[in-house]
Amino acid sequence: MSADLKSSLVNPAVSKPPLGTHAPSVALPLGFVLSGLLSLGFGVGWLVLRPSLLATYHYNQYVIALTHLFVLGWISSVVMGAMYQLVPVALETKLYSEKLARVQFACHLVGFVGMVWMFRVWNMKQVGHFGCVLGLGVALFVYNIARTLRRVPKWNVTATAVAAALFWIGFTVTAGLCVAAGKCAYDSNTGFATEGGVPLVVDGLRALGAFMARFDAISAMHAHAHLGGVGFFTMLIVGVSYKLIPMFTLSELRSKTRATASIVLLNIGLAGSFTTILLRSPWKPAFALVVMTALGLYGWELAAILNARKRRSLDWGIKYFLTAVVLLFPLSGLAVVLAWPGLPLNTFTGQLENVYGFLGLVGVVSLAILGMLYKIIPFLVWFGRYSPHIGRAKVPALADLYSTRLQAFGYWSFLAGLGVTCAATLVSSEAFVRMGAILLALAVATLALNVGAMLTHLIKPRLEPLGAPSNPAKSTNRSELTGAKTASPLSPSPISKPA
Amino acid sequence: MNTITQPLILETLRQVIDPELGCNIVDLGLIYSVTIDGTNARVIMTLTTPGCPMHDSIRFGAEAALLGLEGVERAEVEVVWDPPWHPSMMTEFGRAATGVGSY
Repeated sequence: MSADLKSSLVNPAVSKPPLGTHAPSVALPLGFVLSGLLSLGFGVGWLVLRPSLLATYHYNQYVIALTHLFVLGWISSVVMGAMYQLVPVALETKLYSEKLARVQFACHLVGFVGMVWMFRVWNMKQVGHFGCVLGLGVALFVYNIARTLRRVPKWNVTATAVAAALFWIGFTVTAGLCVAAGKCAYDSNTGFATEGGVPLVVDGLRALGAFMARFDAISAMHAHAHLGGVGFFTMLIVGVSYKLIPMFTLSELRSKTRATASIVLLNIGLAGSFTTILLRSPWKPAFALVVMTALGLYGWELAAILNARKRRSLDWGIKYFLTAVVLLFPLSGLAVVLAWPGLPLNTFTGQLENVYGFLGLVGVVSLAILGMLYKIIPFLVWFGRYSPHIGRAKVPALADLYSTRLQAFGYWSFLAGLGVTCAATLVSSEAFVRMGAILLALAVATLALNVGAMLTHLIKPRLEPLGAPSNPAKSTNRSELTGAKTASPLSPSPISKPA
Repeated sequence: MNTITQPLILETLRQVIDPELGCNIVDLGLIYSVTIDGTNARVIMTLTTPGCPMHDSIRFGAEAALLGLEGVERAEVEVVWDPPWHPSMMTEFGRAATGVGSY
């Protein structure tokens, strides 16, 4: 035995705590996730109460407020919280700063709540102010994760996708603040000092507003939305699934070239789409097709990963996620249709745009997140409550923390709600939008029940004492349990070298 | 006489589960070797994937389980990635418990 190994022998008196060296404390990501879930509940409830939001064209203050509640309050909260937890562990590094992450959480909460409220009352100046608070938080988030990425020992396709997503979220927020500046008559400088930095800032904002006035307001809003929807959310779905789907299904990445090509094309397609949407260019369909090609490569690689999986049965969390991936294809087809230059600008087209946005945010991104939440929340709860007890007491598995029946019910309720809401939106039926929203609310309720069940473990852990190990000579032959021959419990492969 | 034996250590490690897969680390085929030196126990093991979020939990859990065994005063668990884990290393019990097909 080497001296190093001897020195690392564990003494019971100085046993190290079994907490992760890579991830931050569970309270931080759990705070983000719970804020997200509350926002989801409010958002779906709002839709039940006001189904007219989807049954009419989307360029109004209430739809914009609801969209930002979904995008910032629900989706971004969960995604950011999950990234603080998963990026360090998935990329085998440490989070740069948990303190910065906590400051970002505060900025995020104040920023998005204020923005949604001010959108609702259509006070664009205050939207800009709260947007700056949110933007400060996003800047901290980008800096923190970027510094974390710099520590990654082995760069891979997932790290590339995360880096790209950081660039696009920064761009999304900047573009959003520019859109807000373009919409507000910035006249608050009358009461300010005439010297120093304040007038300079106000003059700068006026100039920015004048610059943004060159662009069509709806096009600027659509371009901003695509930056966030494709650049941040879709980029992460694609990149992170190259790591997590093999991990959960016991498989491996099949083609690094194909995976890398999908990320590269997604970036090219988005850069082109942003520009052509903003400028109302007839080249929009070409870049929509580039994005579609990127997603086609992604789907191809994901299918190859799943075909090579060792774990044949797929749990409901993975089913949620894969259903979202499947929905990416009708969504991108719809994008090509809506990008077509000769498309008539009538009521039906407007409703088709509503369906596109709803399918993207709720059908694809939300469903993917719901699937991953059934991995993330049990992990956070288990890690926070049971990790110190493993090996000392009998602890439950992750799947024991929630009800799979409720999870399955939530899946079907969500899909039914999605289908009904999309169809009702297309034909502008408020009654059926409400019905669809109620089905979605049922799905959210099942999630809430399951989350409640999981959180009770934090207060009331279910620990049982370990039984004494049975005498191996008399122990049950495990082949009797399976009717098959028992393999050696030690791995048959030789150890070539210790790490 | 030393009462600590390799089969006893394996039975002890069967009480440590991978919470994601819901199966113990022995039947998952994660244990590569067990060495006993007096009252010291040394285990070399792997995990199903590098970057596994449960890395430290499982490693320290295995150490805790060994230290709970009468006669073990020191325990060392080392996680290695070479050779990489493969489902063919699982026992039939492990495959049945996790829904992995036969090899």
